[in-house]
Amino acid sequence: MNDYEESRRAGARLAAEHNIDDPFAAAIRATRMAMIVTDPSQAENPIIFANDAFLRLTGYGRDEVIGRNCRFLQGPNTDPKAIETLRAAVAAGEDASVDLLNYRKDGSTFWNALYLSPVRNDAGDIVYFFGSQLDVSDRKVIELRARDRSDDLRHEVEARTRELTQALEQKTVLLHEVDHRVKNNLQLISSLLLLQNRRVADPNVKASLKGMLGRVNAIATVHRRLFQSEDVERFDVSAFIRDLVADLMGSIQRDDIEMQLDLERVDIPAAKAAPLALVVNELLTNALRHGFPEGRGGRIFVGVRRENGDFRIEITDDGVGIDKTSPVSGFGLTIVQLLCQQLKARGETTDAEPGTRVVVLLPVNGAH
Amino acid sequence: MSGKALDVLIVEDEMLLAIELEYLVEEVGCHALGCAMSADEAVDLAARLRPDLALIDVHLSDGPTGIDVARRIHEDCGGTALFMTANVKRLPEDFAGACGVIGKPYSEHGVKTALAYLACCLTEGRAPGLPPVGLTLAPRYAQLWGLDQPLSKSA
Repeated sequence: MNDYEESRRAGARLAAEHNIDDPFAAAIRATRMAMIVTDPSQAENPIIFANDAFLRLTGYGRDEVIGRNCRFLQGPNTDPKAIETLRAAVAAGEDASVDLLNYRKDGSTFWNALYLSPVRNDAGDIVYFFGSQLDVSDRKVIELRARDRSDDLRHEVEARTRELTQALEQKTVLLHEVDHRVKNNLQLISSLLLLQNRRVADPNVKASLKGMLGRVNAIATVHRRLFQSEDVERFDVSAFIRDLVADLMGSIQRDDIEMQLDLERVDIPAAKAAPLALVVNELLTNALRHGFPEGRGGRIFVGVRRENGDFRIEITDDGVGIDKTSPVSGFGLTIVQLLCQQLKARGETTDAEPGTRVVVLLPVNGAH
Repeated sequence: MSGKALDVLIVEDEMLLAIELEYLVEEVGCHALGCAMSADEAVDLAARLRPDLALIDVHLSDGPTGIDVARRIHEDCGGTALFMTANVKRLPEDFAGACGVIGKPYSEHGVKTALAYLACCLTEGRAPGLPPVGLTLAPRYAQLWGLDQPLSKSA
């Protein structure tokens, strides 16, 4: 075998330069680190020297490796990219350090942390390549296992995210469907009240129906506002009051009553929106109905602002006042009292001289 | 009201709502031409009666066909469509050619002021001011009727 003979002779030449008492040569022969020397002056850059550690690591005999290019250690699962890195380094005469899956003589594999570096003579020409091989299978297995596990985790997270996104979409669709039905049913209820109101003649029944219609409208106004903002949990009281006042004033058609609004934007939990709307509706209708009998005009002030951890809602009229007229509608008053209790709100009615001032203090969080 | 007496077609599959709407339409001085409950009925009535304004619910007895009805009334019958729906957010961006929407639940007063307002817009060709609470105009109509910021005071 020509290659073998030539490489063996090259190896012998190399050995001749290092006598038996050369401590560096002795160290390389005896070290537990696998090491080889290759000869780039020959075609195929064959191995001309391999130490015992290299033979132990790969399972080959010395005469089976001398004269061969290192690539006999590669196999079907060796990463082509790592091989290319190596080839490029050799071609450029540079160092290379790669983790390579290599195959032993018996076909078993090991992870080889290969370090390759050119050896130059005094003229700077490359005369040898020196390679050291370290079996890093243990570290590599842990690494690969960790990568597999993180891949698994990532897939799991992705799958879960998909599920949750889907669930959220379904929930949103459902929410819109429910919202749609609530609005349609409120519309149906108010149409029923309106239709019956057209049929009855008794002014007392008419007044009752109108009162109920106003309350249903207040709740309807809440629901129109509720899903307009992106945040379905919060409800803007001021915007609601503006709508309610516009609707109430429009329907009673009393040009002699002036509305004055001073509304700061105040958000409350959506769950409190309907009861609060009903309270405001009662207070406003009371002020309109009892403060200003036909022919008696005036002014109604509605203010909303934060004050010492409360939402302060004030409704003041300069009408005829509480004491000078018949007592406030029994049912309306009951509604206000019950809902204030429910909302943990405090209501105070005072004489505005002239007229009536009602202040409702609603705690921002929890009770007083 | 300031505009001329509009001929109004009601497209609504909820009978009680349709009847009550008819009353409201008449009360603001408009003329209610009739009620349709399905898409075919609506387009058929619109083609025969040529309404100035069609009040259209999105969900009719044959499904969510109101949007298609609005487009056909607008394109084929020369009438102006107005949506009345609880699902304002689901309307297409171009409002399917409709001039706007009244969100359900609407109030008696809300519908009346919206009708009076639209009667004025349709006869004068321009808006008498910002749309009343409860009425949202389609961007195209807001521009057509001389409003630059149509959505600033809508609800």
